[in-house]
Amino acid sequence: MTRRLLLPLALLALEAATLPAQGVVIAPHAVYIDARARSASVLLYNPNAEPAEVTISTFFGYPVTDSLGRIVLRTVDHPDSTDRSAAEWIQAFPRRLTVAPLERQTIRLLATPPAALPDGEYWARLVIAAKGGQVPITGVTDTAKVKVGLTLEVRTIIGMAYRKGAVRTGVAISRLRGAVAGDSLELWSRIERQGNAAYVGTIHGSLVDSSGRVRAEFRAPIGVYYVLEPRYAAAVGALAPGRYWLKLELTTQREDLAPEVILPSAAVRDSVELRIP
Amino acid sequence: MHARPLSPLLALALLGVALLQAQRPITVQGVRSLTFGAVLPGVPLAISRTDAVNSGQYNLTGQNNHQVQLTFTLPNVMNGPAGATMPITFAGNDAGYSSSQAIGSQVAFDPKQAFLATLNGNGRGSVFIGATARPAPMQRAGSYTGTLTLTVAYFP
Repeated sequence: MTRRLLLPLALLALEAATLPAQGVVIAPHAVYIDARARSASVLLYNPNAEPAEVTISTFFGYPVTDSLGRIVLRTVDHPDSTDRSAAEWIQAFPRRLTVAPLERQTIRLLATPPAALPDGEYWARLVIAAKGGQVPITGVTDTAKVKVGLTLEVRTIIGMAYRKGAVRTGVAISRLRGAVAGDSLELWSRIERQGNAAYVGTIHGSLVDSSGRVRAEFRAPIGVYYVLEPRYAAAVGALAPGRYWLKLELTTQREDLAPEVILPSAAVRDSVELRIP
Repeated sequence: MHARPLSPLLALALLGVALLQAQRPITVQGVRSLTFGAVLPGVPLAISRTDAVNSGQYNLTGQNNHQVQLTFTLPNVMNGPAGATMPITFAGNDAGYSSSQAIGSQVAFDPKQAFLATLNGNGRGSVFIGATARPAPMQRAGSYTGTLTLTVAYFP
C-alpha cells in the first residue's frame, strides 16, 4: 500500500471512529461508464454504530448558472430526445439496502442504452439517500410533557457519465469581463462546451499588472455540460490606477479524478484589459 | 448484493481502491438532531442554528475547495401521539454553513432556498440548522418527531 493511500485511509479511519450519526461514505464521487463494459460500481461504507437504510435512484440533471453567476444543478424531470440523458437506461442494483454498522456494500450500475445511440457522452445523476436510526427524545416517560425533535436524513447526489465511441470535449470562452469592487475582483465570462462530452477541468483566473505581477487569482474545478456564465471572485489588495490584464484559462487537469476518465483537451485562454481609474 | 461484517480497517482498505481512483470518498453525516426538548403548550420555542446543544448539524467531506449545492427538504409539521401534529417553521436565516466547521463561524442562508457552499482546503464543511416549534395551546402531550433532509449535490 502506498504512502499516498495510507494517509487518507488513516484520516478516514479516525473520522469514522468518531462519527456518531447518519450517513454513509461514498466512493467514487463521479462515475464513468464505458460503453464496452456497460457497468460500473459505487462503494458504500457505514462508519456508524447504527444500520443505515439506503435508497438509490437516478435522474437527469446538469450544472447551469443562475442570474448571479452561481453554479446550480438543473433537474430535468422529462428529458427529451435532444437532452443527453442516461437516467432512463442506467439502473442501480440494489435500489434499497441496509448497510450494517462498519460494513460496506457495492452498488452495481448497469447501462442498457438504445441500440442506435450516437457516439458521445450521456449523463445522469445518482441519488444515495441514507437514513439512520431514530434519535430518541429524552424524557418521554413524563406523559404530561410535550417533547419535540427532528431526525436528520441525508441525500447525496453524484454525477454519472456514459461514454460511447469517439468522445471529445473542449470549451469556447467569450464575453470575458471583470471589475474590482472594494477588496474583491469579480470576473464573469461565458463558457460554452464544444464536442460531444462534458468539459471537466479547472478554471484559473488572474489579474496581472503592467509589470506582470499577479495581483489576484482564483482556481476552481469546473464542469461545463452546455453553457455556463459563472461569476468568480478573488481577494485583491489596493490597486494603483492604471492598466491591468484580466486572464482566464481552462484546462482539463483535475486532481480529484482518475487520469483515465479525464478527456484531455488543449488549454483555452482569454484575456481583456481592465483599467483602474 | 452481498454483505458481510468487516473490520473498520479492512473496510477502509477496500475503500482505498476507490480512493486511488477518486482520491477521496464523499460523506454527508447527520451528526446532531435538531432538538427542542420540552415545550410549553401555546408558547413557540425557537432553536438557533448557533445553539451548540440543540441545533441540527451535518458534516460534509469531499474534494478540497469543491463547490456543493445544499438543499433542505423541510417539514411543515411534526407528528405526535394519536395523529396529533405540531407546526414547525423555518426563518430565512435559520440555516448556516461553516467551512471551518465551527458553529460560531457561520454564513447564514435560507433553508428554503438552494445554497452553494465551498468545502475548505481540507475538503470539509458543516451545515447547521435551527427552527421554531409552535405548539398549540391545547397541544396533546407526548413526543413529536419529524424528518429534516439535507441533499448535497456534487459537481464533477
